[in-house]
Amino acid sequence: MTRFGSTASERFARLGDGITPDRLRIVAAFGAAILIFGVGAFLHHGFASVASIEAILTVASFVGLVAAGQTFVILVGGIDLSMPWVLNAAAVLLATSSLGHNDRAIPAILLALGLGLTVGLVNGVAIAYFAVPAVVMTLAMNGIMEGLTLGVSKGLTCASCGSYAPLAIQNVYHTKVVGIPTDLLLWLGVTLLVGFVLSMTTFGRKIYATGNNPLASYLSGVRVRGVTVALYMLSGMFAALAGIALVAYGGQPSLGLGDPYLFQSIAAAVIGGVSILGGRGHYFGAAAGAITLVALITLLEAENMPEYGRSIVYGVTILAILLLFGRKEKAA
Amino acid sequence: MTKEQTAIEAFNVSRSFGGVHALTGASLTARFGEVQALVGENGAGKSTLIKILGGVARPDSGTIKVRGEDVALSGPSAARALKIGTVFQELTLFPWLTVAENLFIGTEPRGRTRLIRRRLLAARAQDVFDQFAVRGIDPRELAGSLTLAQRQMVEVTSAFLHDPEILLLDEPTSALAEHDVAWLFALVRALRDRDGCVIFTSHRWAEVSSLADRITILRNGTDVATRSQLDESEAVTLMTGRTIDRLYPDRPATPRGTEVMLEAERLEGPRLRGVSFSLHRGEIVGIAGLAGQGQRELFMSLFGVNRVSRGEIRVRGVARRLKGPADAIRLGLAISFVPEDRKTEGLMLGMSVRDNLTLAVLARISRGGVIRRSREVAVATGVIDRLQIRTRNSAFQEVGELSGGNQQKVLIGRWLLIEPDILLLFDITRGVDIATKHDIYKLLAQLAEDGKAVLFYSSETEEIAKLCHRVLVIREGRIAAELAGEAADAESIVAAAIRDRHS
Amino acid sequence: MSASGAVGGWEQPPTKRWKQSLVQGSPVLLALLILVTLMVLYIVLFDAQLGRLPGLFEWTSVVNTGLPTALVAVGQSIVVLTRGIDLSVGGIVDVSNAFAATHIHAGAGSMLGWTLVILLYGAGAGAINGALIAYARLQPILVTLATLSIWQGVALEVLPQPGGTIPTTYTNLLANPNRPWGLVAIGAVALLWFVFRRTSLGVNVYAIGNDEYAARAHGIPVRRVKVATYALSGLLAAAGGLFLAASTTGGDPTEGNTFVLTSIAAVVLGGVSFQGGRGSALGALAGAFILTILVNVLFFANVNPLYQPFFQGLFLVIAVLLGSLLGRIIRRSSA
Repeated sequence: MTRFGSTASERFARLGDGITPDRLRIVAAFGAAILIFGVGAFLHHGFASVASIEAILTVASFVGLVAAGQTFVILVGGIDLSMPWVLNAAAVLLATSSLGHNDRAIPAILLALGLGLTVGLVNGVAIAYFAVPAVVMTLAMNGIMEGLTLGVSKGLTCASCGSYAPLAIQNVYHTKVVGIPTDLLLWLGVTLLVGFVLSMTTFGRKIYATGNNPLASYLSGVRVRGVTVALYMLSGMFAALAGIALVAYGGQPSLGLGDPYLFQSIAAAVIGGVSILGGRGHYFGAAAGAITLVALITLLEAENMPEYGRSIVYGVTILAILLLFGRKEKAA
Repeated sequence: MTKEQTAIEAFNVSRSFGGVHALTGASLTARFGEVQALVGENGAGKSTLIKILGGVARPDSGTIKVRGEDVALSGPSAARALKIGTVFQELTLFPWLTVAENLFIGTEPRGRTRLIRRRLLAARAQDVFDQFAVRGIDPRELAGSLTLAQRQMVEVTSAFLHDPEILLLDEPTSALAEHDVAWLFALVRALRDRDGCVIFTSHRWAEVSSLADRITILRNGTDVATRSQLDESEAVTLMTGRTIDRLYPDRPATPRGTEVMLEAERLEGPRLRGVSFSLHRGEIVGIAGLAGQGQRELFMSLFGVNRVSRGEIRVRGVARRLKGPADAIRLGLAISFVPEDRKTEGLMLGMSVRDNLTLAVLARISRGGVIRRSREVAVATGVIDRLQIRTRNSAFQEVGELSGGNQQKVLIGRWLLIEPDILLLFDITRGVDIATKHDIYKLLAQLAEDGKAVLFYSSETEEIAKLCHRVLVIREGRIAAELAGEAADAESIVAAAIRDRHS
Repeated sequence: MSASGAVGGWEQPPTKRWKQSLVQGSPVLLALLILVTLMVLYIVLFDAQLGRLPGLFEWTSVVNTGLPTALVAVGQSIVVLTRGIDLSVGGIVDVSNAFAATHIHAGAGSMLGWTLVILLYGAGAGAINGALIAYARLQPILVTLATLSIWQGVALEVLPQPGGTIPTTYTNLLANPNRPWGLVAIGAVALLWFVFRRTSLGVNVYAIGNDEYAARAHGIPVRRVKVATYALSGLLAAAGGLFLAASTTGGDPTEGNTFVLTSIAAVVLGGVSFQGGRGSALGALAGAFILTILVNVLFFANVNPLYQPFFQGLFLVIAVLLGSLLGRIIRRSSA
């Protein structure tokens, strides 16, 4: 006997095997993106042109990278509020450690990623082993990284802070392979990799189990705490990766680089069907959600909507999506 | 209320939860001055019916009548207004509120300013406990620190506090020790003698036959019979549609000289003060004792969940430090127990049947961390067939949608797949109906015959006496006595459990 | 260490009664202890730097600076007690701040009238949150994230740039720079909390936070209570916005963001559990002032202001670890 009710979308989805409600959500998220492109093309000639789509997808890739990390931790019922300043710190670190030299590019990237992994490790250990709530720990860590970044770089006025990212890295955002921009191929690769991990590996299965029922998973031999730490490390790494990507795109780091991506990454995951309670959802959905979100924002900008209007529409859209898809299961 | 008048009735009540039909046209009539028992397998609909009668759930169709009048109960308060009191199976105490606060929730004493007078709560609660002869519970304690039995007693007291004329009890004795059960029965009989109406559910036939004036059997969501007299085997037949001649199977032959699979030597840890025993291949060893003497802690320590501060655990002769369940599983141990609150059944309700089954054996169905679908399907299908788990499509059907019995089978299936040599079974028959108990007993005997080593704890002494080769009685964190063969009968076990320790 | 704590299961309350009272009261006590320690530190550092003890002006400034955070934190703690969270407080503070700066003019009618309107707005905005969460059954973090965005937009529309004016009388009433009238507000809040705990609403809030299902089984109108808690949070956030406007004598439509994070930090420091059902708003009150004085302590310790967030974050982590360590010691000794 179950205590859960089913929503209309679930009953509709039981048409055939293979069409689970979770998969339907992912399709719906992609559908929403296409819908916005359609509406945009109708309102603005050129909105759905190749160049425009590429631009939107590029911006979406940044949200997508952050959303990858966020998806991992949300799946186990956690959240990572430290991503903005891990991103920023990694961006600054990349520029200042490479000083723009191509031969220092790889070590600089590794260093930045290492920073993300380390921060994630600290977050994960505190959350998994010391029972610090995720909201609190990652919030505090965000402050810690903000302070460290501002302080060590002296407000980004230090000697090496004016450096650019190595050209080799920057060029990733200016070259194409088989007609597709390299950065999008990179994001595609990340998406496929993350999707593979979630769907087809034992690690992925353990993630879902932990998110669904940590105690039962523990008793079945899943090292729940280890999985949690690993996920926060991945989250930190993806934040750093996003920082590297943004610096590659923009050339130079700036302060506050990561701030908009926190709420956007959460929104993207939610749009894509990742349940904030954990245990449900897939990165494909979050990726689709990122595209939908950025397309929406771009459309609003194209409509010359002032910032306050965009803010309002953004919030209303999230509410609309939640009302359509985000209902909690009914209690008995 | 007058004796013989109908107190509460259900006519043709149906209720579904997400595609699962909990009740299909069930009817029930209960009168004042009588105690009626509701019996049936797990999943037959007893709890759902009680929830509907108690106003917590609403029927999809059918009518409820209270004192002859149609009612539509909008919620538990409406039920209470009609003098209906309920004790639900899932305990509804608030762990971080005090016992007194719990007892008076919604009915706190107020002062002239209409504000709650918190200072009076504890004293008033003590008065209530004195009135109902409840001993040993401090009203100022946090409810969450009470034992399960104490919590159940507080819930029962709370229900009686509101002076109900119609009382609904869903598995009220599942956590109670014998003398607490007697206390409850005294209260129930007193209510009946005052012409109150009582409906209760239980899996313990002894209780049903001693307390109930009438018995209604539910099967598959509908009522199949109501009798004023019924013997156990007839009841089982009505509940399940099968006949079960003997509840307990023959005990497999006592193994002699077989390999020692598991040994504990002077184990010390939380609640354990030096436990030593050995477990042989093919043996079923029972752990008996009063509640809270260290049984749970022993099992948890053997499975690596609790840390052992002193002493040794030897698996197949080799001393091991178990740092967690993963270690234990790797060494061939499996544990099965019913969590105290029954809310988390050990299953991932949102994941598929197949994913639930294979969770503990991921290493076996994968290579290099990547899951091999074909192996997974083969392994899962094997277990589904063996245990006859009824599922539409194991790849996609969520475990949460299965019936209670099938869910239990999935849980058993998960640890069967581990192919353990040593099984730690902790109170697995708690709250389980007769027919499923019989299946479990048969499974147990089969496992011993197959050469597994089983450590078995049950809160029902009779089960331990009938199923085990040897019985270890645990008291205050130590093994106080060991009984074997003929000497291990229920009376001797209980005597050993409560006897004062010789110096 | 048992699995249940770190994997998010229910912790078990300790068994001895004096220990239970300690566990129940200790978060607030710990918060007060930290607050007093910081106050002492502040006095010492202030004296070291300026050769005198902080006087009425300095303490008044502390009260006025901390009061908006304190109000928002109390509202947040009520929501957190029901296992929810309110991220939209930042937006509500912004709108209140913006409206106050643009509409409140000198004159009792204008001041009183607009104050009431703004407070009503706060309660209404909170009620909308509550309705979406309780009746539409949406997740609190996501709903309040969306409404945060909406109200931030509205605030920008009302007051695109920092500016506007607040009449001096209003400032003197709410955030007088020379007299700590703010203490009256704190006292009022503490009194209201005392009353709140003794109402059905107060008891219901704790019940829902403990176990929502059990609360429903006891006939508690869970949905209505939730709407009320978010309405209270919105009301207090609006009040915080008004005090903010009064003390800064102007409006800033984007100040609100920091209040989201500081209110959560204050709640944590005050020992209110995110799992719900435990803790006291008085702890959050103390937590808010801990954060305020911490800034002063860092300033007078000559800590580079750029490093401020670092120390604030570190402080938060240490305080939480300390609290949970304390809890574990108490529990361990009763096992």
